[in-house]
Amino acid sequence: MKTKPKFFFGCLAGIMIFSLLLFSSGGSAAEPVKIGVMTPLSPPGATLLGQFILRGAEMGAEYVNANGGVLGGRPLELVVEDDSGTPEKGIAGYRRLVSQKNVSAVIGQVHSSVMIAVGDLSEKLGVPIFSTQASSKAITEKHLMTAFRTHAIDPDRAKMWLNFIQEMGYKRIALLAENTDYGLGLVDETKAGMQKLGLDLELKSFVFDKKVVDLTPQLLELKAWKPDLLIDIHSVPTTAYLMVKQAYDIGLYPGTPILASFDWPGRTEFWQNLGDKGNYILFISYYHPKMQLTERGEWFKQQYHQKYGEFPIYPAFNGFGQILILADALELAQSAKPADLIAALEKGQFKSWNGTVTFERGEGPYWHQWSPPLMVLQYTQANQSPEDAPILYPPEMKTGSYKAP
Amino acid sequence: MDSLLLSQYLIAGIVIGIIYALMAIGITFIYSIMKMINWSMGEFYMMGSYLQYFLVVYFLGAHLWFVGIPLSMAVVFGVGMIIQRYLLRPMFVGEMERKDEYATVITVALMVFFRNLAVVLAGPNQFAPPDYAGPTHIGPLPVSGNRFVALIGTLVILGLFYLIVKKTWVGKALRGSAQNRVGIQTAGVNVLRVDQIAFGIGVSLAAAAGALLAPIFLVWPENGAVATMKGFEIIVIGGLGSIPGSLVAGLLLGVIESLGSVLISPSFKDVYGFILVLAILTIRPTGLFGERQRVA
Repeated sequence: MKTKPKFFFGCLAGIMIFSLLLFSSGGSAAEPVKIGVMTPLSPPGATLLGQFILRGAEMGAEYVNANGGVLGGRPLELVVEDDSGTPEKGIAGYRRLVSQKNVSAVIGQVHSSVMIAVGDLSEKLGVPIFSTQASSKAITEKHLMTAFRTHAIDPDRAKMWLNFIQEMGYKRIALLAENTDYGLGLVDETKAGMQKLGLDLELKSFVFDKKVVDLTPQLLELKAWKPDLLIDIHSVPTTAYLMVKQAYDIGLYPGTPILASFDWPGRTEFWQNLGDKGNYILFISYYHPKMQLTERGEWFKQQYHQKYGEFPIYPAFNGFGQILILADALELAQSAKPADLIAALEKGQFKSWNGTVTFERGEGPYWHQWSPPLMVLQYTQANQSPEDAPILYPPEMKTGSYKAP
Repeated sequence: MDSLLLSQYLIAGIVIGIIYALMAIGITFIYSIMKMINWSMGEFYMMGSYLQYFLVVYFLGAHLWFVGIPLSMAVVFGVGMIIQRYLLRPMFVGEMERKDEYATVITVALMVFFRNLAVVLAGPNQFAPPDYAGPTHIGPLPVSGNRFVALIGTLVILGLFYLIVKKTWVGKALRGSAQNRVGIQTAGVNVLRVDQIAFGIGVSLAAAAGALLAPIFLVWPENGAVATMKGFEIIVIGGLGSIPGSLVAGLLLGVIESLGSVLISPSFKDVYGFILVLAILTIRPTGLFGERQRVA
């Protein structure tokens, strides 16, 4: 009689252990690998950029999962966080992704201020974070093990427009910059670059709060100063559209050309919002629709068009590309542990949407940094598609010359 | 600084200040009748801007933009009436405690709901209706036709609003309700009905602001946020419940922001308004035109 309970409990324990083993092994085969997408989805962040990045990331996960997932068939699962473009929300969001959601990596960073703040925390928590469109050099200059970027950095951008200014022979340059790491960083880079290149320019910067929607007083002041070129450094396209409208309304633009610091004029709503007022704008771009893409990039371009009825723009491409890079790095690491992933990211070569990406331990801001090509485009007629916009700079990519109004 | 530039800054401030005031008047009007703050006011502004965009682009055509404004106001008036009837009226019926908290929870929930609904229905992109008018000048200031239209439109709407409140029976009932909610019922006025009309009028003023400003500040799910913030600053400066106060405070805010941003620094443009709010609250806690409430 005494042996019966022992036998019963023994059997029960055996069944439990067997079940645990069964479920744990079965669970790990299907257990998703989680990737965080932390991006601005509400104001004062650049919500549109966030939405496009999210679209790209979602299609990246679809692509990976349709091709068998990662680590022997585990699906990629995206966990979305809204940082609102503010460092405090970014820090809280990153903590949540790491400690509660157990993500292996985080992509989607747009605002330099957020990425800089989160970068420091990521170094402590050890989970890699990717800048998708945050360009401050401080992000990668700190040589953090966890910070990665596949986007242009400020010194390269400033160098690009200074070379363009030199070629065009402009002398009086106005910088209209938002008071963020992005805006102020680019003002500093432009000043430093000017000295480095030995350019004799008159430079005047107008720094504004990024939430301000009416810049008429500053534009009136700027008009009175009579610059040859106005470089607009907005990180939020909505307020940038408003600025162009306001500049047009007071008669500043297009008489004084405007160079947009990134590719917001390349979006579908640009002409819809600005109409003829948007013509002649110059803008920095990292992508031209006539560029040759990789097979993955072409797949994305066509699928995106099918899904959303428009062709993707750079942030969507970059969101897509970073998910693919992570999927390849997971395969290379054969592990979803952040430390293994970082090691794989450093040693691997990854096929993204526009070429082969590597993250070397480079000098200065070129640490874990992969830069897309930079170019200056101009719309030369109203309702022109980015595909038809000529590339004015650099000379090796040039397809047209500056057209004055 | 030359006088021409200074006058340009002043006029730019006055124009934007009068436009700001339209938003504040809707908030203060609802407060004066219902004694509640509508935190979703910006979303009714947003609704007005989307309606105006869709009416002008898909139905009326660019030349009939001015027909879109009353239509947008009418639709939002109806939506406001329905929301008041089913979501806000319960706080005035029966013995509800913590009415302020109830109103805050409901209107904040509406704010979140409408913003997300806009993203779902219209997507994340911005829209702009065609320009209402070509560029023009106000004195030495070159201004967009859209701003000029918004300025005139605001003055017309405020004039009509004044006539309705001062000269019509509904206006008398609204004023009576604002003065004494119990007393007005002894005169046979259905105060719950008055609340409903007041809420409808208040949110339709926000919709008018959204429709008028659609080509200036664009149409997107979050476009009401800035207007709401300015609206609340203005009602604190002008005095909660005071309509002339809203107009004067709007002008003050517009001019101070304009001058502060060029004479001091544009980096702190929003701060100047808050400094003004603090200064007014220190000197006159009820705002420039606000009155102390008597509590029985």
